Amino acid sequence: MKNSWKLATLLCGAVLLTACGSDDNGDTAETGDTDSDSGEVDLVINSFTEELQYPIDVFEERHGVNIDLQIIPGENYVDTLRPALESGSGAPDIFTAEIIYLLDWVEQDYWADLGEFGVEDWSTDYPEYAWELGRDQEGTMKALTWQVTPGGIFYRRSIAKEVFGTDDPDAMAEQFSTMEGLMEAGEQLKQAGYRLFPDEESVSGSPFTMGSNPQPWVDEDENLTMTDERMSYFDYAKELRDNEYTALAPVWSPAWYASFNEPITYNAGWDEMEEDSDGMTEVFGVSLPSWGLPHVLKIDATETAGDWAVTSGPSSYFGGGTWIGVYEGSENKDLAFEFIQMLVNDEEFLTEWVEETGDVLSYTPVMDKISEGYEDEYLGGQNHYDYFLAEAENIDASNVTRYDQRLDQMFGSAVGAYVEGDLSKEEALDSFYAEVQNAYPQINVNQD
Amino acid sequence: MTKNNNRAYFFIAPFVIVFLSFNIYPILLTFYYSLTNYTGMGGIDNADFIGLDNYRRLTQDDFFFQAFFNTLKIWGANFAIQIAIAMGLALLFSDLRLKLRGLNTFRALFFLPNIITIASVALLFSILLDWNYGSLNQMLLNLGLISRPINWLNNPVYAQGWVALIGAWMWFGNTFIILMAGISGIPKDFYEAAFIDGANWWDSFTKITLPQLKPILLYVFITSIIGGLQMFDLPLLLTDGRGAPRGALNTMVIYLYNQGFSYANFGYSATIAYGLFIITIIFSVITFKTIYRSQVKVKNGGKK
Repeated sequence: MKNSWKLATLLCGAVLLTACGSDDNGDTAETGDTDSDSGEVDLVINSFTEELQYPIDVFEERHGVNIDLQIIPGENYVDTLRPALESGSGAPDIFTAEIIYLLDWVEQDYWADLGEFGVEDWSTDYPEYAWELGRDQEGTMKALTWQVTPGGIFYRRSIAKEVFGTDDPDAMAEQFSTMEGLMEAGEQLKQAGYRLFPDEESVSGSPFTMGSNPQPWVDEDENLTMTDERMSYFDYAKELRDNEYTALAPVWSPAWYASFNEPITYNAGWDEMEEDSDGMTEVFGVSLPSWGLPHVLKIDATETAGDWAVTSGPSSYFGGGTWIGVYEGSENKDLAFEFIQMLVNDEEFLTEWVEETGDVLSYTPVMDKISEGYEDEYLGGQNHYDYFLAEAENIDASNVTRYDQRLDQMFGSAVGAYVEGDLSKEEALDSFYAEVQNAYPQINVNQD
Repeated sequence: MTKNNNRAYFFIAPFVIVFLSFNIYPILLTFYYSLTNYTGMGGIDNADFIGLDNYRRLTQDDFFFQAFFNTLKIWGANFAIQIAIAMGLALLFSDLRLKLRGLNTFRALFFLPNIITIASVALLFSILLDWNYGSLNQMLLNLGLISRPINWLNNPVYAQGWVALIGAWMWFGNTFIILMAGISGIPKDFYEAAFIDGANWWDSFTKITLPQLKPILLYVFITSIIGGLQMFDLPLLLTDGRGAPRGALNTMVIYLYNQGFSYANFGYSATIAYGLFIITIIFSVITFKTIYRSQVKVKNGGKK
């Protein structure tokens, strides 16, 4: 009997020890990265793409340091990194965040205050939205971005000339400046045997759902904003479907990619498929953010090279984006910041990088220089840098909320159910409100 | 007096310590989370203790009930299809009169779908089932069986049916192997005796195979329902990850995951975990009661 008590105490002790042990781990890791002491690794960077490998190589060469880039696949990134950031155990020195959760993360103690390094002096060199999104509600600068990702409508010049009599981006922007205009263009294209877009996401996935009146989904008092433009989007989405303005090829599907190069089979050849009848259709354009040009079109739409142009839709929007900052508990903050400085604020390096990747960068001094007199052959001589930089200036960071991604998805599903004819407009709207309320009890969805 | 026996504690200590720290501690911690409005960010210390509010919410949460019935529906359909196919095949391969060859080859073939990662399966089927460009609709259209493509994954009933069917396709091989093992454990004498007595196929199936197979069937049932209640990856990956179309593929674990990781309601998500835990216990109790009762019956029958 006596012995079993002893054992029980021993076990309890052991459990306590393990519990304390894990706490200790947390503390030590916060104050010092064991990796950097033992090995030659000076900085650990966590990200979800290999994009940073190139700047890392440059930085390593310049400073003679050793950087370990640890890539966590996008779908696991948050769930893997967040526990490390929460506990401080195993956290990197530098890490990136996508726009989807950026606004949640800047409010936490994950990133160090970059204001300490004097970054505020740089602010005039960046488009306002890209700069402001890295700031928390108290005004502390937590994260910066090296690129801007405004979106636009990419379209085929030859088709534009045939149908609208012009392929001028400004004239097209005029046509697309309202949802009515966009629908009208859809009708004209359809009459001529073309489709406006391959996918419905070209309208619904981007914030054209806001029409020409962008408003934040949720205001400062956590009230859900349902604008008239958003409500009328129900009708536009239905119009888009009922009139078959798109080819209904899901975004990123094989047919979607094919539509950039050649006529695609429309609707699996079904339908009372009228006169034009071989069931093939050519697609006029697609909505993509700035990275869509180097990473999607130039790679996958090679046969139509030179025939493209880019212009703006009913509202300015941006798609995606990666922000980067220094981990609050990093032991090597100064070196970490130097890396970030090179990545977002180094003229020599950024000039190299933009020539290497063709991305639209956020640092305007470099971009201004690059875009001067620039003509892109792929876009029939258009200067897309000019377009995207101007577009970036039109984006208002105060319209961006931490809920956007999820609310856009939920709203999209509700509209989808209405378009399919499964729900009436009222039912769809009610289901949207119910879903929002369930996911975010703190939001007031009550619409007077 | 029992001095020697105490030494055993040292031997079980490693397990007990690991079990306490990695199983019991998180379970208790989860319970504590379920009493707070923790968001999963900014540390548990900054969360408010809100008592049983989350549990009150859970009992009135239509989304949770919907998820519960979805899970049951999909699992039920999946289990019915799966057991029917597996049983049919097992009977075919064990039939004394047919004497089918190549059991090993078929066993391997049937098991193949099970070793494909579920992410690939989901991707494969979402392409196959695509509304306008999917192979299935193209095939049906060309055969003239339908005049318009069916939006499979946008119709709640079809979508649930497909998840059940894909699940059955993935798991029938596994069930088949277990049933085969069970059937080959039944003495052949029973069948021969029955055959001599003039029993037909149906009689020997219902009077010999099924009763003899009962423990195996129960095992299949229990493992299947435990897996079924935790259904997650396939419905998550097949559509938008939030249970589209219109919540039809929202299972309990998907709901838990979204509340915790997509909507940052960690506390409520922990509550859902406890709800799931209680539901699992209820189902386990029912199942064990059923086993227990059937044993009692046999005993009574024996006495008489």
